[in-house]
Amino acid sequence: MIVSQVLPVVTDVDVSDVLQRLAEPEYRSEPFNPVILAFCNDLSRALFRDLHARAFPELQALAFWMRKSELLKLKQEFDALQSDCTLLVPRGLVFHVPPSNVDTIFVYSWLLSVLSGNTNVIRLSDRAGDAANTICRVFGETLATADSSVTANTVVLRYGHDEAITSAISAACDVRVIWGGDTSVNAIRRIALPPHAKEMTFPDRYSLAVLAAGAYVRLDDSGKRDLASRFYNDTFWFDQMACSSPRLVVWTGSREECSSASASFYELLEREVRAKEYELAPGPRLNKLTFGYRAILDRPIASYDTFGSEVTVLQLEDIANFSREHCGGGLLFQAYAATIDEVAAIVGRRDQTISHFGFSGAELRAFARKLNGRGVDRCVPVGQALSFHRFWDGYDLLREFMRTVYIQA
Amino acid sequence: MSLDTLLDTPQYGLPRAEKQKLLLAELNSLTELHVRNCPEYARLVEFTNGRTEAERVEDIPFLPVGLFKSHRLASVPPSEVFKTLTSSGTTGQQVSQIFLDRETAMRQTSALNRIVGHVIGPARLPMILIETSALIKDRKRFSARAAGVLGMMNFGRQHFYALDEDMLLDETGLRGFLERFGSQPFLLFGFTFMVWQYFYERVRTLELDLSNGILLHSGGWKKLQDLAVSNDEFKRRFANSTGLRRIYNFYGMVEQVGSIYLEGEDGYLYPPNFADVIVRDPVTLAPAPAGTPGIIQVVSVLPRSYPGHSILTEDMGVIHGEDELTCGRYGKRFSVIGRVPKTELRGCSDIHASTVASR
Repeated sequence: MIVSQVLPVVTDVDVSDVLQRLAEPEYRSEPFNPVILAFCNDLSRALFRDLHARAFPELQALAFWMRKSELLKLKQEFDALQSDCTLLVPRGLVFHVPPSNVDTIFVYSWLLSVLSGNTNVIRLSDRAGDAANTICRVFGETLATADSSVTANTVVLRYGHDEAITSAISAACDVRVIWGGDTSVNAIRRIALPPHAKEMTFPDRYSLAVLAAGAYVRLDDSGKRDLASRFYNDTFWFDQMACSSPRLVVWTGSREECSSASASFYELLEREVRAKEYELAPGPRLNKLTFGYRAILDRPIASYDTFGSEVTVLQLEDIANFSREHCGGGLLFQAYAATIDEVAAIVGRRDQTISHFGFSGAELRAFARKLNGRGVDRCVPVGQALSFHRFWDGYDLLREFMRTVYIQA
Repeated sequence: MSLDTLLDTPQYGLPRAEKQKLLLAELNSLTELHVRNCPEYARLVEFTNGRTEAERVEDIPFLPVGLFKSHRLASVPPSEVFKTLTSSGTTGQQVSQIFLDRETAMRQTSALNRIVGHVIGPARLPMILIETSALIKDRKRFSARAAGVLGMMNFGRQHFYALDEDMLLDETGLRGFLERFGSQPFLLFGFTFMVWQYFYERVRTLELDLSNGILLHSGGWKKLQDLAVSNDEFKRRFANSTGLRRIYNFYGMVEQVGSIYLEGEDGYLYPPNFADVIVRDPVTLAPAPAGTPGIIQVVSVLPRSYPGHSILTEDMGVIHGEDELTCGRYGKRFSVIGRVPKTELRGCSDIHASTVASR
């Protein structure tokens, strides 16, 4: 089977040759091998420097995440995971299947895997966009001057929905990572893995923001503006289509506090949207308008408000009945709740991130304990919703890419 | 009363001030009628702060056209529905459902009469349908294509279907038709792409004389744009190989049957007296000035049985001018640019291809 290879060099390759090579243990490395750390740091610097990469905020966030100080912090965290009687070793060959439309997520998954010492095959969709092409180019340029051990441990292939290729790679891998919606996860999941292999799936998720109205009204003007600005980043960076972007805003507190906080908040958000010159494309805008009108007819909506041309807020009559179906592009459902405990009642398996404001660590821990695994894998301050972290979707990715060897002397 | 004025005044004959005044009164009363009779419409108007008493036509509340795909919107009880129109979606796509009572259907017919009569005159003409006779089967539920053909058939007599069931030209039949009727004015009608693909591409080498024909066609230019055929090119090629020169494209949709926007002799589209177009800025949705492309909104005084008198379409267009009389017509001179581009939003999941579906 011939397939087009994007990295380490652009050429056509035979999939079985690639797999045979990557399966050989000598291409693995020790976790946090200095050569690989150095390469990641070089890649980070190249992304900061590259003119095209600088045009993509998500690539800059990625570069930030890969810089040396962050990697050293990660190494310390890794060291703490081992003990006198446990040793962490790579799992082997990791097959990454990123979504076709979030261009950069595969790099995070690859990074944690390669730092763990694995070899990697990444399937890039033939629909992959500009950011993916840019990162592949910068990646390739950085590889050109890198140590041969790095060049040999990662292969990026670009192909469409070709089950034969996916099957061949799946049969050879030790870990399969599927990012993307439920449909992609289900489709790829049907393809067999070796008995020992493990799989991580990242299906469709839903995220919300929980804001304490009392704490909000006590903020001074600059604090309010700052919160709006951070909320803007969480919500509008990927046109509200990232799985961790909030789509429902829940204010907690008395009704009076909630409604006065809400009124001030969206006014500032509108200002922020305008200052950032955010503009949704006409197609998604019409889609959003139609979605909002349909919601008025089909859902228990108390009001429909627009703030400028980009922010639409649909107030729910109560928090209990809402549907997670969503159009993205700056439409927010909103509900009022007396306490965060009321939010717990509606949480389900699909819910991933809660961006919070005005709650203490203890309150959030109590909330998570109350949920006890029913849903919600992350609680992060407003502004951090999109920040990738080793803890994601309920996994500790740093651990998931390694096996634990038990050693009793 | 103002409906009669709008219909009876010679089409394209009303200057802006007069037209807007008549339209506004009629549209406001339709908003009120639909608020009273269609609970869904009433809820939408209430929630979106739409004005039931607008001061300008631009302020009449509008519905996004996609709502007619997801919801059954009617302002008459089911017992009064006399015909249900559906849009021609491809398999799996949701289609619009438009509910007509007798009155609305009659309004549509008489409105269409005024527009088409403007170019073909009062008499019915022998007519070539660039269609297959297999199209019209179920008389209770019409596809947009069938409804369009049926509506147009009223303007003709001695109808001849030029295509067989395999979309092949009936050359013998066509020659026979032309022998009988070709020396006096006759009418041709078809959908733009079919006219080109199944008719023009066949007749261009047959050395037929279509110079007495009047061709009306509609249905969008997308497929022809893919073939790099513009409206000018379309007309030029027909004129050169068949002598057919009176060719009128029109813009219309199943959600507002009867209100068609017919091409003037200058090659641009014009609203009839009883309908209008507003082009809206794609970002703010505020009315865009002449010369600026945007999303097309259509208003029409015809729909009484369903709340479709003011619809935001999924088409892009541009208004070039108004009341310029470049071909003797009052009203807005405009062009349709194409569909609002479907842009896929990037995201983590694969379910969100913008669902602005094609009609």
